[in-house]
Amino acid sequence: MSEVYISKKSFYDTPLGDDKAVVPEMRRDCYAVFACRHKFCRDVCPVYFETRDETTGSYGLHTSILGMAEGHVALSDLQDTITMCLECGACELRCPNSLYTGDFYGQSTTLVDLVRKVRRDLIAQGTPPANWDAVQKYIDQDLEKENGPSDALVKWADDLDLPNAGETMLFVDYFNAGQTTDVPRNAVKILKAAGIRFGILDKPYPTLGELYESDKEKWMVYAAQNIDALAKAGAKTVILVNPHDYIFFVREYPKYFNLPFDVVYITDYLLSLFEAGKITLKNELPINATYHDPCSLNKHVLNWEAPRTLIEAIPGISYKADDHIRQWDYCCGNGLNSFKRLKPDVSYKIGLRRFSMAEEVGAEQLIVACPHCLDQFTEVKAKSGSSLEPVHILELIAKSMGID
Amino acid sequence: MEAISEKAVTRLEDALGKENVYPDNPHRAVRAAVPSPFPVCHWEEHIPDIVVLPKTTEEVVEIMKIANEFKIPVVPRAGATGLADGAVPMRKGILLDIKRMDEILEIDDVNMTATVQPGLGMLELNKTLSRIGLFYPDDPASYPCSIIGGRIGSGGWSLMGSGYGHVPDLVISMEVVLPTGKVIRVGGGGGRKIRKSSVGYRLKDLFIGHSGTLGVTTEATLDLCKKPEAECPAYFGTGSFEESHDLALALERLGLKTMTAVVIFDNEKIEFLRRDDEAYIPQPKEVVSVVLALLYGSEGEVLAARKQVFETAVDKMKATYLGDEIAKGDWASRHDRYHITYHGRNAAGEVSMMSWHCEDAAIVHSELPYVRKKWHEIVKRYKREYDGYFDDWGMFMYTSNPFKAYGDYLTEVDIGVNELEMTPEIWQAFIKMKSEIAAVALEAGGSISTCHGGTRPGDVELACHQELAEGSFDLMKDIKKLLDPNNIMNPGKYLLDEAYQ
Ligand SMILES: Cc1cc2nc3c(=O)[nH]c(=O)nc-3n(C[C@H](O)[C@H](O)[C@H](O)COP(=O)(O)OP(=O)(O)OC[C@H]3O[C@@H](n4cnc5c(N)ncnc54)[C@H](O)[C@@H]3O)c2cc1C
Repeated sequence: MSEVYISKKSFYDTPLGDDKAVVPEMRRDCYAVFACRHKFCRDVCPVYFETRDETTGSYGLHTSILGMAEGHVALSDLQDTITMCLECGACELRCPNSLYTGDFYGQSTTLVDLVRKVRRDLIAQGTPPANWDAVQKYIDQDLEKENGPSDALVKWADDLDLPNAGETMLFVDYFNAGQTTDVPRNAVKILKAAGIRFGILDKPYPTLGELYESDKEKWMVYAAQNIDALAKAGAKTVILVNPHDYIFFVREYPKYFNLPFDVVYITDYLLSLFEAGKITLKNELPINATYHDPCSLNKHVLNWEAPRTLIEAIPGISYKADDHIRQWDYCCGNGLNSFKRLKPDVSYKIGLRRFSMAEEVGAEQLIVACPHCLDQFTEVKAKSGSSLEPVHILELIAKSMGID
Repeated sequence: MEAISEKAVTRLEDALGKENVYPDNPHRAVRAAVPSPFPVCHWEEHIPDIVVLPKTTEEVVEIMKIANEFKIPVVPRAGATGLADGAVPMRKGILLDIKRMDEILEIDDVNMTATVQPGLGMLELNKTLSRIGLFYPDDPASYPCSIIGGRIGSGGWSLMGSGYGHVPDLVISMEVVLPTGKVIRVGGGGGRKIRKSSVGYRLKDLFIGHSGTLGVTTEATLDLCKKPEAECPAYFGTGSFEESHDLALALERLGLKTMTAVVIFDNEKIEFLRRDDEAYIPQPKEVVSVVLALLYGSEGEVLAARKQVFETAVDKMKATYLGDEIAKGDWASRHDRYHITYHGRNAAGEVSMMSWHCEDAAIVHSELPYVRKKWHEIVKRYKREYDGYFDDWGMFMYTSNPFKAYGDYLTEVDIGVNELEMTPEIWQAFIKMKSEIAAVALEAGGSISTCHGGTRPGDVELACHQELAEGSFDLMKDIKKLLDPNNIMNPGKYLLDEAYQ
């Protein structure tokens, strides 16, 4: 399944720069978006909804780079505008180039890859995106963890008695391991209750998207180490509990490496267990809820059914959510990688807008399937004083199964 | 940024806040073009000096005052989907992007009006209205991306217009900031919501479709309707354009109130739609041309009308119903195909990246075959002469008489144009092709443009000196000079510079 979503435009490997010419393939590729008359990309962009500024987003960025090819814009002129992308992927889905002819001509629009490339090229020429220091600090902290004692990275699982090998491996990233530990802990408890034998790595390596869009080479070294460690642990199936990492494993890793194992997202895995009768959702949860699709799952790999099916199977739940297509223009505001640190004010506004939509359908709880959405919504709740309660789907499943 | 003084920039920043004033290259370069063919080689000439995004009427007033004082052009830009260069700066200057004026000020569900700022899109407005079962029925093919202020500036046409009215019919009243900075209100009686009045001149119409040359709409009160209960788009295949033309007349003559549009797809359009595409719904070879009858109304009305339409189309005129799949997939979405650059072809049938250009003359029913024949001859000649630069993407004809689906048709020929490889010489050939096309529209007693405006080189000379020759253009110049003494509003459009010579 993952193969379908892997895109690679080799001309993206040629760096852009203030004193460099734009290669003809890049010029044509940007022109294809510039020449599209619809600008659907603008009208599904959560950043545009807040800023109303068409300079950013797919049309704006492709046009700016075409402008670079024609001598009207320099790479360093993009230091500000390049910060204005969540990498949520909505514009790619709605781009008529992708919709109508993309695959046929091999010319789908790949804005997310382009944003990452431009950020890297800006950093490489010493003119990083505005406010990049905040991101770099975060990257440095993450990499310090990798250098530090490895038991800190698996401390979240201290009392869970998990082996470090197995055919099925749960991959837990640094964010979940450090900040949203309940997410992997619930995953472990659910899997154990369903009778699954699985392990975790004794030392996972960084997967940080912020690193990917600044120092791809270093990120790839860690990617190789993760793949190697999982293979050595005997993995045939790797379960992910962070959808940001999941899409790296299914969309990015295969661009550079062969993966000797299958990769599955936790909600898909749990759905298969539920359908096989290994998970019973028995306890009633009389809550009034809605569901927020993570951009990474819903927009990057069109994965939206499993969380909905699981939520609907919880007895007693009152649940109302927009369909996945409507949610293409939503985002929690965190974005996939650097956005929240680059643009905290816009990030908060996007979160607030999502909150108000959830409140409008009368929800008291906002269910998420992503630790970053959970983190972002928790912050929005605290700042705004809303009574809406963000909750991770694994917590609800564990409760309904009767797990503490 | 030679053309605009630092002093003027500071004044703009003081008036709007620094965060709403953009002097940087990306903000300016991105706002040089709109989707009508843009010769990439001429980009530099159209890059504005500065971009501003005001939020209030008062800020727009300030911009006008500063522009007048410093004699700087002001170009309003809304969704930037206009197809006649309306929002393209001809003399650089201040690009006034209205997209931050996006508030819904009032929804009156008793008197069925919405009052909005001009930077709001129809899709955005309808998202809110749909919660109370209401609808703003302006439905251009650019529905998701064009914006109310731009719809007004261009005098837009709606696919549903022959049932529900077009932009000039749907705008009840407006607040307009004149080029001098004076704020006026036009239309709507004292309370802004009156649709029909006979007091004074019809000034509202003056401020619709002026392509940003007479002022900036800063608020509009719009006419709403109940969301129609039932919709039936019925597509019929025929063996020739002539059969489609006859079928369209038969459908028009049914006199159905529910008939919201009759649309003809000609032979070349069907051939174009058959080009490689992942979204194409294949049709049998016998289908050479297509007619769409679009019905809206209550369930009962649409059901009864549908029966009459089918009797006429299938039983009497022997057309083939193309099935529910097309109706559901809605061939209107085929508009997306225009803009896929990869659909351009050279004489050898190879892909040649081209963008979409659309001519939109208004032609009466009886003249459609003549115009069609002439237009294809012209486009095919240029396609032959400039292989790989132009391509014939076929014709659509849509009813355009407001509230009545008969009589006039928005007649559109779609042309692929290779903008990226365009040279100044071939650009001149393009302009010549345009003026030949416009001349045919006038010969047929039509108007050069139903909704885009006649502002582009190639059109504009014929528009001003032929279509508007009998005194209209002279009066336009007088009005322009009266309202805009310093020629700051979107100068260089409609040959209005002549007013100042
Ligand atoms: C794919 C596609 C399909 C289309 N289909 C249709 C269609 O079915 N019907 C139709 O009518 N058009 C159609 N168009 C053309 C275009 O969408 C319309 O002309 C539309 O009305 C332009 O709106 P906009 O918001 O993009 O305005 P812009 O292009 O930004 O501006 C249009 C004009 O209005 C002026 N203007 C903008 N804001 C204001 C303001 N506040 N006050 C005064 N003047 C202002 C500008 O200076 C300019 O002259 C289509 C275009 C595309 C790309």
